[in-house]
Amino acid sequence: MKGLILKDWYMMKKYCRYYFFVCIGFILLSLISSSNMFFVFYPCLLCGMIPVNLLGYDERSRWTEYVGTLPYTKAQIVSAKYLIGLLTQVAVLILICIAQAVKMGIEGTFVFKEFLLLMMLLLIMASVSSSLTLPFIFKYGVEKGRGAYYVMIGVVCAGSLIATTIFKESIQNEIQLNAVWPIACLVGIGIYVLSWYLSIVFYKKREQ
Amino acid sequence: MNALELKNVCKSFSGFCLDNISLTLQSGCIMGLIGENGAGKSTTIKLILDMLHKDSGTITILGKNNEKDISLTKEDIGVVMDEVGMPECLTAKQIGNVMKHTFRNWNETEYARLLQKLSLPDNKQFKNFSRGMKMKLGITVAMSHGAKLLLLDEPTSGLDPVVRDEVVDMFYDFTRDENHSILISSHIVSDLEKLCDYVAFLHKGKLLLCEEKDVLLSEYGIIHCTVEQLSELDRNIVKYKKETPYGAEVIVSRKDAQDGFKLSPISIEELFVFMVKEAK
Repeated sequence: MKGLILKDWYMMKKYCRYYFFVCIGFILLSLISSSNMFFVFYPCLLCGMIPVNLLGYDERSRWTEYVGTLPYTKAQIVSAKYLIGLLTQVAVLILICIAQAVKMGIEGTFVFKEFLLLMMLLLIMASVSSSLTLPFIFKYGVEKGRGAYYVMIGVVCAGSLIATTIFKESIQNEIQLNAVWPIACLVGIGIYVLSWYLSIVFYKKREQ
Repeated sequence: MNALELKNVCKSFSGFCLDNISLTLQSGCIMGLIGENGAGKSTTIKLILDMLHKDSGTITILGKNNEKDISLTKEDIGVVMDEVGMPECLTAKQIGNVMKHTFRNWNETEYARLLQKLSLPDNKQFKNFSRGMKMKLGITVAMSHGAKLLLLDEPTSGLDPVVRDEVVDMFYDFTRDENHSILISSHIVSDLEKLCDYVAFLHKGKLLLCEEKDVLLSEYGIIHCTVEQLSELDRNIVKYKKETPYGAEVIVSRKDAQDGFKLSPISIEELFVFMVKEAK
């Protein structure tokens, strides 16, 4: 699998260089922005899209077909994409962690518990974006997979909206916010692992 | 041990069916898979590699069932597909590094030697390669990890005649080792005729013939005659025929040759064209 990771690394260096600069730019902006969390969240979402973009390039160059002739299992081919995504997400999370810790320290607002919650939220955002996309792409290919992803996002958003409208009051009253985040974080990790597993299952069934 | 055995392999898609293919490639031999576009050559190679899932039948590669640990078996197989799907932004040097971490028996020295032999630059991006250069790089990778079996899908297409001849010689040298074998598909039948020990004709997903090349060439002959002369020929000995207003060409078995008709040697290409037209 080392060969697959190395190949993706070469491709990232070529095609995703500007992602790095955008992330750094947004992290720096998050330092001067007083309350807007968009600058913190966006780099995480951006990194979640890297494996998807790499798969797009793979499909265009017909690597997805060629790799089937090499001594890799389908599980390894899928896992390489998850690992490259995970590595970039962890790298960006570390950068954000450092930046936010420095910012909170300077402002004198550093509370470890809040800091931890923020990191959990970022971890969930980073993992969920690729978790929802990759199984569709491994099942249907990049073009169809993206379409299926957008449909599913629409359904999830609509469902969330309806659920929060109906259960708004009961949610606020009965659930302790501090207890929710660790659970949400675990759910996020669970979704990531499930997504990884489903991608392998889908890709094994897919013909090249 | 046979390098490759296909027994009653079937695969159907909408509008196409690979029907009950059985063939055996012995170690140390080269088999040519000849067929028109859409005959099923690439499908057969993909089925062998388990890139497509067969509907029925069995495939054995180097003595191992292709459904069991195929990724390990692929260590011993060099593959060139009709489109070499290397990442476009990678250079030959970077592809070498990737393959070094892909194949256990990757031979860096051999890779560098072949790059030089085939005049391939090691620092130019793959997307800037010509079709011929891409094919040459695919062949270089396939021959740099100590493969025992080469599966080559149209490997000489896009190559100029001089390089094609050079590549054909490389394949020929590869099978000097009696443990090495090649299954090669091509439209360029003249290349296969020069290279192959066995030929298999595929037409619309059906295997028309799978035979030793020399047996075919010694078994059949071609008669060039006028349409009037054709009527004098015993119809029972005619295997295949082609009539035009200017004359007729008839393929007959050499043992049935009839006096008064000059029997010329037949080429594999002629035999294939006749058989396909007859099948239509």
